[in-house]
Amino acid sequence: MALIEARGLGKSYGSKRAVDDLSFTVKPGSVTGFLGPNGSGKSTTMRLMLSLDAGQGTTTFDGRTFGELRHPMRHVGALLEAKPFHPTRRARDHLRMLAAANDVSTQRVDEVIRLVGLESVARGRPRKFSLGMGQRLGIAAALLGDPHTLLLDEPSNGLDPQGITWLRQLLKHLAGEGRSVFVSSHLLQEMAVLADELVVIGRGKLLANGAVADFVTSSGLGTVEVVSPDMATLGPELESRGATLVAGPGDATTVSGLDAAAIGDAAHESGARLHQLTTRQASLEEAFLAATGLDEEFRGGDQS
Amino acid sequence: MMDALRYEWVRLRTIRSTYWIIGIALGFQLAMSFLIGALAGDDAGGTDSFAILVTIGASTGFAPLFIAYVIGLMGVFSMGHEYRHGMIRATLTAVPQRWAVLAAKVLLIVAVSAACALACVLIALLSATIFSIELPGWGEVLAISSGTTIFAVLFSLSGLAYATITRNQTAAVALLLLVPTILEGIIKSVILAIHAASDDPTGKGGGVWLIKYLPYDSGGQMYTRRSLEDLLEIFGVVPFGPVGGGLVMGTFVALLLAVGSYLFLRRDA
Repeated sequence: MALIEARGLGKSYGSKRAVDDLSFTVKPGSVTGFLGPNGSGKSTTMRLMLSLDAGQGTTTFDGRTFGELRHPMRHVGALLEAKPFHPTRRARDHLRMLAAANDVSTQRVDEVIRLVGLESVARGRPRKFSLGMGQRLGIAAALLGDPHTLLLDEPSNGLDPQGITWLRQLLKHLAGEGRSVFVSSHLLQEMAVLADELVVIGRGKLLANGAVADFVTSSGLGTVEVVSPDMATLGPELESRGATLVAGPGDATTVSGLDAAAIGDAAHESGARLHQLTTRQASLEEAFLAATGLDEEFRGGDQS
Repeated sequence: MMDALRYEWVRLRTIRSTYWIIGIALGFQLAMSFLIGALAGDDAGGTDSFAILVTIGASTGFAPLFIAYVIGLMGVFSMGHEYRHGMIRATLTAVPQRWAVLAAKVLLIVAVSAACALACVLIALLSATIFSIELPGWGEVLAISSGTTIFAVLFSLSGLAYATITRNQTAAVALLLLVPTILEGIIKSVILAIHAASDDPTGKGGGVWLIKYLPYDSGGQMYTRRSLEDLLEIFGVVPFGPVGGGLVMGTFVALLLAVGSYLFLRRDA
């Protein structure tokens, strides 16, 4: 199973630096989400990883670059485009063509067609495929060589809710088999459920690379809801230790800046009674927005 | 390399345009060579008649070599489809060695274009046999047949090169149609007009020698026999023979492919 190591990836379009000295690692046996705002360089990074774009840096898959792989689709499966096929070539023929270059059997072609649920249209021309059907064909192509590594750029684009659920289960299953799954998505709620690890970029630079839980925790956006009959005593004590207090919800006070253990210690030392202490983790979305807020390339206007 | 060839072979066989291009070329050749054969006089025969039958009149300079234009589309589509339909990234993730991708396209376009052009020659031979048109000597049959085939192959390769350079199928089709018919015609006209207005309109001086280096025009010498173009000799135009003309066109196509290869190997996919 492959360890993906990207080192010093870089790419400029004229004077604009699209990807800037980007290094990260994708571990086998996990789904690694690739997050970044629009225009942050995610797709460019994926193309650089596969040597499709000219740029700086190297990406290795178990020590070998993509260009060094014999029958690359048997090592790395990639989905980079929404509809990467000729509109009049039959879906099955499209896969047969890719298979021919990678010593993959026709039997495997039919297997992946069944796997992505395109049996009924496999011998039809994909001219009128919906975006979701096109994505399924692209996913079939990525899975064609039964690769140990998957690079998928926005694979859930155009999929219906059932399709997104199917894709989530499929990717988790593949990661569970020990494969490396590197997947970009702008659906943060979906990524929160799917990903074990994250690579977060903004303006082409690395913002975070590690476990999802670590990324969320490090955002410092978690809060603790405190219910205490001695809040008049406990409140100033917490503020003196750097916490911020907001009244509510209900009888509780929301405390940020200190975790539950620190609040418990403060209550004990100040002699305040505690009736409730509830930790509320920040969401991935909140952590992501906090991390990329200043790096978003194309920001919408303020509604207020 | 074999992986790239397998990919390209399946690509060619699984696309409809391959079949309609070959169908149009063979259908046109069949219809026109049989029509010409049927209408030919009893005394028709020899080199000129056979050349007309094979090239459907292109050997006289009155018409372009139609089958080359049709077969040439296959060359354009070979690379044009990659960019028009966003296939290039899928192709290069299946075969990352770009030189192999391009070499496979060149080899298969040469093979398929040559096979299609040879089939058109065979149709002309069939017509000559059916309508009792006397063939020239086998040497001349071979020369006209190979000249027509080589021209069609080079023409097709130039289409592939245009598509590789422009990364735009429509632009490549336009170049393939306009460069031989319009651009070369304009250049030739301008040179001849300047030469005709000079002090020595029938001499070989001035820039009139440039005309024989017009690549498609020069390449046409491979199948041209008695031609309308011969009239230009009064202006001092002395074209290359079949070998020289073929070399000029071959050099031009090689240069186009070299530029295309240079760009293809370095550009973003």
